[in-house]
Amino acid sequence: MTATTNQPSETPIIEVRNLVKHFGAVVALAGVSMKVHAGEVLCLLGDNGAGKSTLIKTLSGVHKPNGGEYFVDGKQVTFQTPRDALDAGIATVYQDLAMVPLMSIARNFFMGREPVRKFGPLKFMNMGFAEDVARQEMRKIGIDVRDPGQAVGTLSGGERQCVAIARAVYFGAKVLILDEPTSALGVAQTSMVLKYVNLVRSRGLGVIFITHNVRHAYAVGNSFTVLNRGRTLGTFSKSEIGIEELQNLMAGDKELQSLSDELGGMV
Amino acid sequence: MASLVKKLLTAFAVAVPVMMSIAPAAHADGERFVFVSHAPDTDSWWNVIKNALKNAAKETGTTVEYRNPPTGDIADMARIIEQSAATNPDGIITTIADFDVLKASIEQAIAKGIPVMTVNSGTADQSKQLGALMHIGQPEYDAGKGAGARAKAAGVTNFVCVNHYITNAASVERCQGYADALGVPLGDHMIDSSQDPTQVYNKVKAYLTAHADTNGILTLGPNSAEPTIKLLRDTGETSKYNFITFDLSADISQGIKDGIVESAIDQQPYLQGYLPVVLLTQYKRYGVMPANNINTGPGFVTKDNIGLVEKLAGEYR
Amino acid sequence: MANSETSVPAARSSDERLRRQSILRSMLSRPELGAVAGAILVFIFFAVTARGTGMFAADGVMNWVTVAGQLTIIATGAALLMIGGEFDLSVGSMIGFAGMMIAIPTVYFGVPIALSVLFAFCGALLIGFLNGVIVVRTRLPSFIVTLASLYILRGMTIALSILFANRTIVSGVKNFADDSFVSWLFAGKAFRGFFIWLAEAGVIGTLPNGQPAVQGIPAVVLWAFAIAAVGHIVLTRTRFGNWIFASGGDANAARNVGVPVARVKITLFMVTAFCATVYATCQVMEFGSAAADRGVLKEFEAIIAAVIGGCLLTGGYGSVIGAFFGALIFGVVQMGILFTGAPNDWFQVFLGLMLLTAVLFNSVIRRRATGER
Repeated sequence: MTATTNQPSETPIIEVRNLVKHFGAVVALAGVSMKVHAGEVLCLLGDNGAGKSTLIKTLSGVHKPNGGEYFVDGKQVTFQTPRDALDAGIATVYQDLAMVPLMSIARNFFMGREPVRKFGPLKFMNMGFAEDVARQEMRKIGIDVRDPGQAVGTLSGGERQCVAIARAVYFGAKVLILDEPTSALGVAQTSMVLKYVNLVRSRGLGVIFITHNVRHAYAVGNSFTVLNRGRTLGTFSKSEIGIEELQNLMAGDKELQSLSDELGGMV
Repeated sequence: MASLVKKLLTAFAVAVPVMMSIAPAAHADGERFVFVSHAPDTDSWWNVIKNALKNAAKETGTTVEYRNPPTGDIADMARIIEQSAATNPDGIITTIADFDVLKASIEQAIAKGIPVMTVNSGTADQSKQLGALMHIGQPEYDAGKGAGARAKAAGVTNFVCVNHYITNAASVERCQGYADALGVPLGDHMIDSSQDPTQVYNKVKAYLTAHADTNGILTLGPNSAEPTIKLLRDTGETSKYNFITFDLSADISQGIKDGIVESAIDQQPYLQGYLPVVLLTQYKRYGVMPANNINTGPGFVTKDNIGLVEKLAGEYR
Repeated sequence: MANSETSVPAARSSDERLRRQSILRSMLSRPELGAVAGAILVFIFFAVTARGTGMFAADGVMNWVTVAGQLTIIATGAALLMIGGEFDLSVGSMIGFAGMMIAIPTVYFGVPIALSVLFAFCGALLIGFLNGVIVVRTRLPSFIVTLASLYILRGMTIALSILFANRTIVSGVKNFADDSFVSWLFAGKAFRGFFIWLAEAGVIGTLPNGQPAVQGIPAVVLWAFAIAAVGHIVLTRTRFGNWIFASGGDANAARNVGVPVARVKITLFMVTAFCATVYATCQVMEFGSAAADRGVLKEFEAIIAAVIGGCLLTGGYGSVIGAFFGALIFGVVQMGILFTGAPNDWFQVFLGLMLLTAVLFNSVIRRRATGER
């Protein structure tokens, strides 16, 4: 099990080494290392409790790590707030928490970064600009928004994820962290999101794609990191590992673990 | 969805005639007067006045509308007086619960040419200053002082004034008059009991426990008197205090008969409802009006005259 | 995906069609539509039942306009806060407390009226700030936190007024405030000349003494319009307004994209306190007194107006224009019932029924318009 990357020459956009995070006595991350390059989709696989969400939250500046190093474009960083991470070009799209369903597409699109127009000392939100941009950006990814003033709640789940991704891309994200973007979606919706992830990658962004689903991961991923109990079980490029093997790595390990428990640690 | 709209419209179609059938009743041939009180909806004492208004309206062939601010907010009462004036009634009867607040509204009504009489709360001076025809009521401070004089004669030296309507200035006047007659500063002898019977009960209990030398009790109406009577029955201290209360109710009458309550100050509210309607009607019809204000109280109800009063308490007394 | 750059003309033509649809749609999906429809219904109702009672004469109109105006002031604050996802039940107590903060320093400590008013506003903003901080920091429901404030403020109003003034109604503010700028600002009457002209022209009635039946527009009504207008613009046309929607719609999502949710909510609590103080100041200046029981239950009227106006109790949706019409409905119904001469004992029943009808009607209209499921 040798950890490799597919583009060793380039500087990765994000790299973490031996990241450690505990909450009181609970060790959530016990030394995780991984890197993502531009134009690469890194899939982060693992079962519940493997430490995926802690890792994302640490990468996006919500949690501060207790140990290890964090590099962006080769420079070491410490993020105090999610805003810092965002300013460094690291955008996180959370599964359910990306959009406000009651707000319009345009308002959601610019939430937290509203375009303003000045009238003397007064600043007003430029709604015309917001609606035009939202409409254009959505058309770019093939979603015909009937009205950017319509509530996000009227969109399908896949469309919502795409709006969230389009928003991150529009605001100059270099790395997208996608938290289980396909877990609640049907087949057609999933393929819409996966297609879009591929499009974003081809534009030269780095993507960290978190999922349970090996098939979704294999469809878009360039490399795969499997997490278990706060540690990496290894990182593999697509050429190194088949979908079956990947599946076995996720599932088999669990079976081994339970077998080992049953036999009192003999295996 | 469409059916719901239809249902709503049907509901309105029913509601409109109902409201309309009420509206014309308010504009019968006879004169129409509006009586505006300051009492919140929960104050049952005003039932006697409502009955008096009904009787007076029936006897004179007039219509009387009773109005009050539901929460007892006097600022809301000012709006109700303005509203009443806007309907151009033949007369307005109002209390002067707060002179400053109601001044502008009452003066506006008078400027509009509407005859105004003041009753109950407020003083004769205030009434005159507003330009009202006359004041019918019981001077609060004097009534309190009268009660205080009785208490002093009975040997009271230390007292508690149970105020269930502390936000009404008149209620404080009553306690003040009582205190002045005794020659004791009011200070913390007045407690804010609130209107809730359980709270009144417990607050009075706490006060009497903490101030064992108390020998006089003044309550400002049934709301504070009834729980206090219950308390004294429960503790068995039925004759320990010189207990005077404002106003009457069935419970208070029983208390007087049992000797728990020494006397009740009766301001004879029936007259405050009945007289203004009758007088305004005569004024409207024949232009006659007594030259003086009318004091309906204080009258003291004691064991000696409780018989007749008791029969009518809560309805006409 | 490749088609994104190719089909420009087609996209443009479809765009125009969609734009037209969007104007119609956005008009229909506005949250205030139901309240406007409800207001029209209420006016029709009273036009029939209260005809000839003086309700639509000049002084009658000014009567319910004033009541609706007062309510608009606090309803605007309540609506913004509700859209931001929180409640403030201490509005009514705040009215009483702010009134005392003006009256006691003025009457008992000789503080100039302008300073007393400034003091009241500062005090109220501080209380609003504390409400907000407690809600944000403890993450307790604002319903509970401000329910506590309701009691604390009402209790302090009574206790402090007894302590300083030995009474619960502090009168005589007018002796210190008449002819002052503050009195003009909060209790003046605007457009007096216009109303005299209207009376001379016979458009409105005159009193026997020659004065017009209505002497001017009370300042409280102008305040209502100003506060509602500013509230509406801030909500719909500024960055902060977008943050209000975001904070109320989904605080976590808002936080994730960098919206300072805590700051937004605290600010909104201060806004409701500010509105309550404007209400209180207008009242104290008009009546010349403050009382410990002023504003009892006004918090519910403010919330009712906001809900009639289309605000969701769960936050994230609503409008100030809607709250404005909600306050109008409430004011008109409250006073209109009195005009119809309905028996007093049934007043609250009628009030409740009419409000229920208005709310139902408005929610039906809104659902039809937005195609909500």
